[in-house]
Amino acid sequence: MRKPFVLVMLILACALTGCGHSYHWTQSHPDYRQVPYGDLAIAGTENAFVLTRAAWFAKKLEISTDSVQLKVTSFCEQVFLDELKRAYPSFTRIPKEIHKAFPEESQKLDDRIFLKGHIPEQGVVVKDSEGKIPPRILILHEFFIGTDLKRELFFDYALIHNESADKKTSKNLSAVISYTLWDNEKQRPLFSAVDEVQKSIITPTMADMESLIRTSVQQIRKNMYAGVVR
Amino acid sequence: MNRLLVLISIVMLYATAAFAGETYFDNHPTMWKDPEILIWTPDAEPPIDPKEFCLSLRRNNTGIGEPKCRQFGEWERDSVAVRYANWLKLNMESRLEPEYLRARHPAMKAKLQELEDKIVLFVTSNGNKISVAIFDETATEPKSAGTLFQHGDKIALGDEIASEYFSGKTRRRLTKDERKKMQTAPDDLYQEVPKFVAWVGIGAGYSQAKIPLTPDNWYRSHIRSQVRNYRITKDSVSLWNFLDDSGPLFSVYAGGTWYGFIGLELIYRFAQHDVKTDSKDTVYKELDYWKFYQHEIGLNVLLSRTYPATKWLDITPFAFLGFQYSFFVEDIGLKDDVVKPSRAYGVRIEFEEAYKGALVGIGSQFVFKKHYGIGLRTGISSRGRNVYSDPTPDAAAEPTTIGASTIDWFISGGLEYHWTL
Repeated sequence: MRKPFVLVMLILACALTGCGHSYHWTQSHPDYRQVPYGDLAIAGTENAFVLTRAAWFAKKLEISTDSVQLKVTSFCEQVFLDELKRAYPSFTRIPKEIHKAFPEESQKLDDRIFLKGHIPEQGVVVKDSEGKIPPRILILHEFFIGTDLKRELFFDYALIHNESADKKTSKNLSAVISYTLWDNEKQRPLFSAVDEVQKSIITPTMADMESLIRTSVQQIRKNMYAGVVR
Repeated sequence: MNRLLVLISIVMLYATAAFAGETYFDNHPTMWKDPEILIWTPDAEPPIDPKEFCLSLRRNNTGIGEPKCRQFGEWERDSVAVRYANWLKLNMESRLEPEYLRARHPAMKAKLQELEDKIVLFVTSNGNKISVAIFDETATEPKSAGTLFQHGDKIALGDEIASEYFSGKTRRRLTKDERKKMQTAPDDLYQEVPKFVAWVGIGAGYSQAKIPLTPDNWYRSHIRSQVRNYRITKDSVSLWNFLDDSGPLFSVYAGGTWYGFIGLELIYRFAQHDVKTDSKDTVYKELDYWKFYQHEIGLNVLLSRTYPATKWLDITPFAFLGFQYSFFVEDIGLKDDVVKPSRAYGVRIEFEEAYKGALVGIGSQFVFKKHYGIGLRTGISSRGRNVYSDPTPDAAAEPTTIGASTIDWFISGGLEYHWTL
C-alpha cells in the first residue's frame, strides 16, 4: 500500500522541480548511413580556433600577450590538420574564401542548443582547393580552447549571457568544438555536434595543448561514428 | 485455372501499385476554388501539360471551379529558385519528414511566403519516376510530396496527380480586403482573460469512506460496523459506523471566477445512506426501512488557471478548499402489521442537528465554445463538531457526539453552463 503513495509523491516532486534538463548534443540526418572513411574535405579551420583566458595562457606559456592568440591558435590548427591527415590520408581542404562565402546560419540540436556557422547553400556544390568535388566536408564552426570550459555556457541560449566567475585555479585544459559533417553531393547536413574535451593539467605546456587537440580529433571521429543512423 | 487466377491477381496488384506511386507525406495544403496553379520544374520541359492538367483537375474534383494553370516562369528564371529546385530534385526521398526538405535561403523563403493564395506544383522527372511536391504560402517546406511512375503520357500523369493531391474539399479564395482582415485579426489564443466568469452546474458522482491510496485498516472498523438494537455500535466516532458509506452523490452548484484566477462557489450536495442494521438482531423484524438523507450546503474557494487548448475548448484546472454544513434527515418506517413498536425503537440513536466540515480537492472544467462545460472533480469532505469548546468538569458525564469525525472521498462529474459578465 505504501509503494503507490511513494510513487505518486515522486511524480509530484518531479513535476514541481522539472527534474533537470538533459541536452542533446548531436543531430543526425535520417540518411546519415555511413561514416566518412579515408576520404574527407575540411573547411573552416582558419577561423574556428579561439583561445580564451589569453592573458593567463600568455603568462603560463611564456609568450607575449600580443601574440599569444595568434601563435596558439595557428599551432592548434596545424596539430588539428596533422591529426586529421593521419586519420584521412587523402584529405583535402576547402579554401578559406569559399568557406567564408557560405551563408551564416544556425542549426538546432536541442530545444535550447543552437550552433552557428557558415553552411553551403542548397543546390550549390562546393569544390576543394584542387577543383575537385569532395563527397563529404567536415565544417568546423568553432573551436574554443580554455580552462574548465562548459559547452552549455557557450551553446545553451538560456545560459550564454551568464558571466562566469573569475577563477584563480584551473583543473582542466578544455576544448569546446562545434562542427557539421556536410553531404556535398546532396547539399545537406549529415551530422552536427557540439563536443567538450577536458584534460587535467597542473601547468599548461604546448605539449598539453597538442594532446588536447589530438584527443579532440579522436572525439570528433568517435562521435561521427556513433551518430550514424542504423 | 487456379494458376491463371493467381497470375492475373499478381498482375493486377502490380498494376495498381505501379499506378498509385507513393505519397511521402500529405499535410493537406489549402485547396482553393478557382485556384491558380503554378507548375514549377527544373527540367527543360515539364512532365505535364498545363492546359491538360487544368482539365484533369476539373475531371477529378467537381468543387474546384475554374482552375488556371501555367508554367511558373518567374521561378524558373530565378537563380535562387533554380538552385532550390535542383536541390529538391536530389533530396526527395521517401523516409524524409517535411522539415528536411525546407528551403534555407532567405530569398527562397520570402518567395514562398509571397505566394498568397496560389498553389505551386513542383514536378520533375527523377529517373523512372516523377517527383511531385506542393507548396503554399503557409510553409517554407512542401505541404505534400510523393512520387508517381513515369509512363510518358502527360494526360494520364496529370490525372494521377490531380486525383492523388488535389481531391480535397475546396474553399473560396479570399478577396484582398478579406486577406488583410485575416492577417490583422487578433489571435484567438491571445485574447484577454475576462474579468468575471460565472457558471452553474448539476453533477452526479460517487462517494465512499475509503480514500484511494490509503491503507484499508484505517477504515475497516467503521465500514464493517453494524448497529444492534437501534443504537449499539463498537464506537460512534464516525457516521460510517452507522450508515452505509458508499453510494451515489448528487450536487447542484453555482460559482464565479475573477480574473481567471480566484473563484467562489456555492454548492448543495445530496446523498442517501441506509442504516447498517445487524441482520442477526431480531428486534429489526418490525422494521420496514431506515435511512438518512444527507443534505449539505457548502462554500468553496477555488484557485484556477485557464488554458485555451483550441479555439473551441478551454481547460481550467482548479483546486478548491471550503466548508460545509451537513444535515442528516431520518426516514424510518415500520411494517404495516406492527401495532406497537419495541422500546428500543423509541430510544434509537439520534444524530446531531447539523455537522460542520471541510471540503478539499482538485478538479478541472472543460468549457466548449465558451459556454458549455463539463466539470470533473475529486476530493475529501469531512463532517464533525466544533472541537474548539473548552472542556468542562461535566465533560466525562456528557454523552459522546455521534459522528464527530466523519470523512469520505468523492468523485463527481457535472454539466455546466458558463457565461461572462
